[in-house]
Amino acid sequence: MSHNVTPGRLLVVDDNKVNRLLLGRGLEQQGHRVAFAENGRQALEMLHQNEFDLMLLDIQMPEMDGYQVLEKVASDLDLRDIPVIVTSALEELDSVVRCIEMGAEDYLIKPVNPVLLRARIGAGLEKKRLRDQQHDLIRRFATAEVAQDLEESGFALGGHFVEATVMFSDIRGFTSLVEQQSPADTIELLNTYYTLMFEAISEKGGVVNQMVGDGLMAIFGAPLPLPDHSEQAVRAALEMIEMIDMFNFDQAASHRPSIQIGIGIATGQVIAGYTGTQRRATYTCVGDTVNLAARLEAYTKVAKQPILIDETTRQSLSDTINVKNLGPAEIKGKNQALTIYSVPVG
Amino acid sequence: MQEQAIIDLATYNQLKELMGADFVEELVDTYNIETGTLIEQLHQALASGEAASFGRYAHSIKSSSASLGAIVFSLQARELEMMGKANDLSGAGIKVEQLATNFLRVKQCLEDLKNES
Repeated sequence: MSHNVTPGRLLVVDDNKVNRLLLGRGLEQQGHRVAFAENGRQALEMLHQNEFDLMLLDIQMPEMDGYQVLEKVASDLDLRDIPVIVTSALEELDSVVRCIEMGAEDYLIKPVNPVLLRARIGAGLEKKRLRDQQHDLIRRFATAEVAQDLEESGFALGGHFVEATVMFSDIRGFTSLVEQQSPADTIELLNTYYTLMFEAISEKGGVVNQMVGDGLMAIFGAPLPLPDHSEQAVRAALEMIEMIDMFNFDQAASHRPSIQIGIGIATGQVIAGYTGTQRRATYTCVGDTVNLAARLEAYTKVAKQPILIDETTRQSLSDTINVKNLGPAEIKGKNQALTIYSVPVG
Repeated sequence: MQEQAIIDLATYNQLKELMGADFVEELVDTYNIETGTLIEQLHQALASGEAASFGRYAHSIKSSSASLGAIVFSLQARELEMMGKANDLSGAGIKVEQLATNFLRVKQCLEDLKNES
């Protein structure tokens, strides 16, 4: 039986040199790259220094034994995805159970049958590859914060109340802009715009959780807490406007149209969590605060101000940020007029 | 026949076939050196009454010996491993001596097999 196993980077940990040579030889014959450690401590050092796809781990070793290594690996975010196959001459059932419970993929009793080892390694590497792919996907389609929240707490539909600041932003007159240029130019413009906005938002601890056309929604203070979320959101907004100015400068130099954006910011309780179905879900926030932020963003056109914030956001700002009271305004969806503020730019 | 009892030829030959004769020759040399050291360490652990280390050295001998086909010798090492685990080294002295003597036979047998090929 000859499976074609994709070569991997393997770490063989065993205090017995004969065992190391034997395991290493078998693995190298299969095309894998093999590194060796003589005890648990050395193995952990190597795991931190280099990337490995799989570890073959002995249990009885001096300095740090295999159980201790399993414990460290399981509690380390950077290492816990590396599949571990225990190879041990300890034949007691409780040792096998203990290792599996501690996260080992498998337990092979030495001397290890080479055919079995080959199959187990193939399966372990495949598992690693799938995990890597999954991580890539999560990181591409979710923000680092959401990815971290997912990896730490797992996925569950449902939400909870959080005190957070919500931001909406979009491009003014985007529709007429689209009509003026080619589809390729529009996509390029959007990509540049999003890159700049993402940078400004994430630099201040915010999370972009929705992009629709030329608009985006960002949350400050969820899924991970952010102490001064209102202030950070306003600072991000100022940074976004500054970036757009620089972007327009470049656009003008290449005789391309300039863009303007409007930003609405509101602070308060939101219901944050994963919505959707088990098959397709997104991290988002809903509630009055979210609606208000969206309304404020729309109102920037009426007020002719690039950044508008609500009363709660203003109250949490430090003195270093200038605001201008625009007085009561009739905001769609609100029964009574709300005092709103603009944040002057520059 | 004597040699077959000390080293299981089926295991040894399979190893040669899978890993290559040259590699197994190297492996035998390493095994002979390493096991000699482990038996010395076994003596020292016994003298200082360190049962856990005693068990670990015996365990190491058990494991690599089985890989090379020294099955009976491996089982003798296993017995010492169990004594170390049970934290009871009484009567271990004579067994370590027996193991050391048997190791000389294993070593010789492996050398003979190596020279045969």
